[in-house]
Amino acid sequence: MPDALTVKNAALDIEALSVAYPSRGGWLQALDNVSLAIPPGGVLGLVGESGSGKSTVVLALLGLLGPAARISAQRLNFDGHDLLREAPMLRGRRIGVVFQDTAAALNPALTIGSQLTEPMRLHLGIEPRLAWERGTDLLAELGVPRPAHVMRSYAHQLSGGMKQRVGIATALAGEPDLLLLDEPTTALDVTIEAQILSLLDDLRVRRSLSMLLVSHNLGIVDRLCDSVSVLYAGRMAESGTTRAVLHRPRHPYTKGLLAALPRPDRPHAGRLAPIPGGLPDLTKSDPGCNFRSRCAFSAAGCEQPQALRGVVHQVSCHRVDDVADESWPVEAEPPANSIAPRARLPLLQAESLSIRFGGGGWISRMLGKSAGVLAVDHVSLSIRTGEVVGLVGESGCGKSTLGRLMLRLLPARTGTLNFGGGAVEPEASRDFRRRAQIVFQNSDTSLNPRQTVGTILGRAVRWFDMATGAAVAAEVDRLLDLVRLPRSYATRYPHQLSGGEKQRVGIARALASRPEFLVCDEAVSALDVSVQAAVLNLLRDLRDELGVAYLFISHDIGVIAHIADRVAVMYQGTIVEEGPVDDVLHPPYHPYTELLLSSVPLIGRERRDSPAPSTGAVAASQGCKFAARCARKLGPVCDTLAPPVQQAGPDHAIRCHIPLSELAAVPHWLGPPA
Amino acid sequence: MSVLAIPRLHFPSTLVLGATLLALIVTAAIVGIWVTPYDPTVFAVRFRLQAPSLLHPFGTDEFGRDVLSRILAGAHLSLATGFGAMAISLVVGVPLGLIAAFHRGAVQEVIMRAVDLLIALPPVLLGLLVLAVTPPGLFKTIAAVGLVYVPILVRLTRAVALGLLEEDFVQAARARGEGALPILWHEILPNAWPPIIVECGLRVTFAILLGSALSFLGLGPQPPASEWGLMIAEGRDFLTQAPWVCLAPGLSLCVLLVSVNLVGEGLRERLDPHLRGRAHA
Repeated sequence: MPDALTVKNAALDIEALSVAYPSRGGWLQALDNVSLAIPPGGVLGLVGESGSGKSTVVLALLGLLGPAARISAQRLNFDGHDLLREAPMLRGRRIGVVFQDTAAALNPALTIGSQLTEPMRLHLGIEPRLAWERGTDLLAELGVPRPAHVMRSYAHQLSGGMKQRVGIATALAGEPDLLLLDEPTTALDVTIEAQILSLLDDLRVRRSLSMLLVSHNLGIVDRLCDSVSVLYAGRMAESGTTRAVLHRPRHPYTKGLLAALPRPDRPHAGRLAPIPGGLPDLTKSDPGCNFRSRCAFSAAGCEQPQALRGVVHQVSCHRVDDVADESWPVEAEPPANSIAPRARLPLLQAESLSIRFGGGGWISRMLGKSAGVLAVDHVSLSIRTGEVVGLVGESGCGKSTLGRLMLRLLPARTGTLNFGGGAVEPEASRDFRRRAQIVFQNSDTSLNPRQTVGTILGRAVRWFDMATGAAVAAEVDRLLDLVRLPRSYATRYPHQLSGGEKQRVGIARALASRPEFLVCDEAVSALDVSVQAAVLNLLRDLRDELGVAYLFISHDIGVIAHIADRVAVMYQGTIVEEGPVDDVLHPPYHPYTELLLSSVPLIGRERRDSPAPSTGAVAASQGCKFAARCARKLGPVCDTLAPPVQQAGPDHAIRCHIPLSELAAVPHWLGPPA
Repeated sequence: MSVLAIPRLHFPSTLVLGATLLALIVTAAIVGIWVTPYDPTVFAVRFRLQAPSLLHPFGTDEFGRDVLSRILAGAHLSLATGFGAMAISLVVGVPLGLIAAFHRGAVQEVIMRAVDLLIALPPVLLGLLVLAVTPPGLFKTIAAVGLVYVPILVRLTRAVALGLLEEDFVQAARARGEGALPILWHEILPNAWPPIIVECGLRVTFAILLGSALSFLGLGPQPPASEWGLMIAEGRDFLTQAPWVCLAPGLSLCVLLVSVNLVGEGLRERLDPHLRGRAHA
């Protein structure tokens, strides 16, 4: 019985919450019998793919579902109050909320101070001047530098991490007992994410706050939460303590999610295990197991009505005991039809590329008023045939810009580019365009919404004269086969495809010209883990089948570790470390690589404090750009002298003043090799 | 069962209403002159300034001509001015806007500064400028009004195209090495036309009005043509004795403007993504 789990005096107690929205196909059952409980001071993680109903839980707790939604619950209690009726009185006051997109959550026309003090004045009746003082103190408590100044600033003047701190401060301003965190770090860099996570951990201890953390990232859930509930298509799949659920998962869905996750501590772990298929149609009521159509272990009997069983560790799987020792199956490696690793000849060589951005309009340029920013600063990088080079770094470090420079999509200020033995002129030739292509991150904007998949692919085919006339359709079919999409998709429009399918079309379009080199610009970052795993597997297979070389740009070290042969770490327009993936992920590290690796929340890793403060600081014009953030800064030499390139091994280069022996004597952040 | 299963009451949408009205006006303009028993240009001084009656539903003017016949005969002029002017500004403005968006350097500066110059002049003044130096006529009115609305379309097209040019599917086309023409034709235009068409639909109203205003000032078609603006100008001397001479073309103009506006508004409801949710809610 679920009642056995009911926490005594729970801060939040949800029993059998169901939510349905009206939609074109009838009522859409967004949540179906969801039960959760958070004890005072407890942190519960709510995980699941997009569309699983995570955010609906948050909105239901806040009473913000809108008039069209049909809500029912046996119990929706917060500290003795019935949220179905009293949510509007409690939100902002006793229940604080932090949203994912801080840029949208803060009003751009009001100062931080006026937004932060509003709940204090409104809910606590504190007079304005006192509220202002309290707000300043609150920002200071959350580690915002120069809080008095920030209070008078506007949202656009703050960095992403600062905005999220302000967002948390605003949620705390009404002195709540419960904090709802809806993907609070998803939009942030790992280094900033690590800071926000330790801040939240700190807050919970100091203020004995209860928290509900909604996230798709299993790593941060493991880092922060006591207990976890896994949501699938509006129903609870599994729930229990974090240790039990994430370390010994029992529901096939949880097993699948964990198997699909690329992890930096397991480079080259073979193929990832994607979960096939997509969410079931939520407008059709089906009492049976809602995961059975995608489940690797489904059998007769799975269509029986589904119920959550167990006391402390609850699982809603009919075959839980049968599959207890099974792990999610990994697709077999494709037959070894792959091209034998050829002599790895240099394919693309970038020599000292740089580009400058900004500097105002042509008038200020003529007057020499502002010089702009050197977004890519004399970078040299080479890629061999059939090789995957990962490019990793925080947002704004120049990764995407470098990728576009290497395709001559942006005009380089300095430097040369060689491809296949010949120089590529700034006005790239048609032959270079054919041989070097790009895959984009956002599959929503990368496909023309007014063209069918067939037109999108056909245009690329015709443009490069790969086929003419009736042969174009055959070539489109070949491309769809290549990315494992049904040929019937040629008549579909992008909005009729799922995110993963759109990304496959994007890949097929890039492959239309049979290129030798692909820039994958955050090609899997916008996808759910289960879909991401499938696309990563596809990209690996394509590399083996076609011998394409990739420049794989990502902010996710796990993805890079999984797919790359070599890694380049970029910081503020410079490559600070470069080498084979195993060397880069092990000491000696560049201090920045060390910071990145220590910031990644990993399942099963002990909490360790990251070695360096990472307040975004402006780089010195001379010297090492990372000096201002570096925990191992030697002294003035770092600020004045450009760091030398040190060879830490064959092919492994670190750009740092610190002697290699010292760099080698740091903890191995990813733990012992798996 | 579902609330949505209840069929909604179906009111004629703005688009249907406007299109029906406009179709009636266009039909009247085409067949009207053959149906009326009076020649719109022949004088009949004996019957001058007669009040509306069964014989002359809208009365007669100072030369005894039947006002209804004259209105029907002049309808095509207003329609031609409105839609012709819009067509001209479309044909000139959209390509210029696309080019300005694609070539952000000197080309853009030249186009956009020229557009700024045109916008700086009040529309009527600009029309006067074109028409005053040469003898007036219908086609020149159309050209002048069209010229007035070129800057608006250039700016709109450029703004829409600038946004689209940032999209990744355009980057993909650039990565294939496609030049301006294929990118603008295949990638930009199919996505840019909805807001452009909506703007045009709403601007036709203003174009008709401006055309009539220029005619009123004597810069449009010359007598004995029965352009509605011209008719209002001719009738204004008798406004107190025979108000129908002015009122009839004035009201006709009103009905035409309302119908065109309804079509424009209806197009906006259909095509504007910001309003789409509301239209289907």
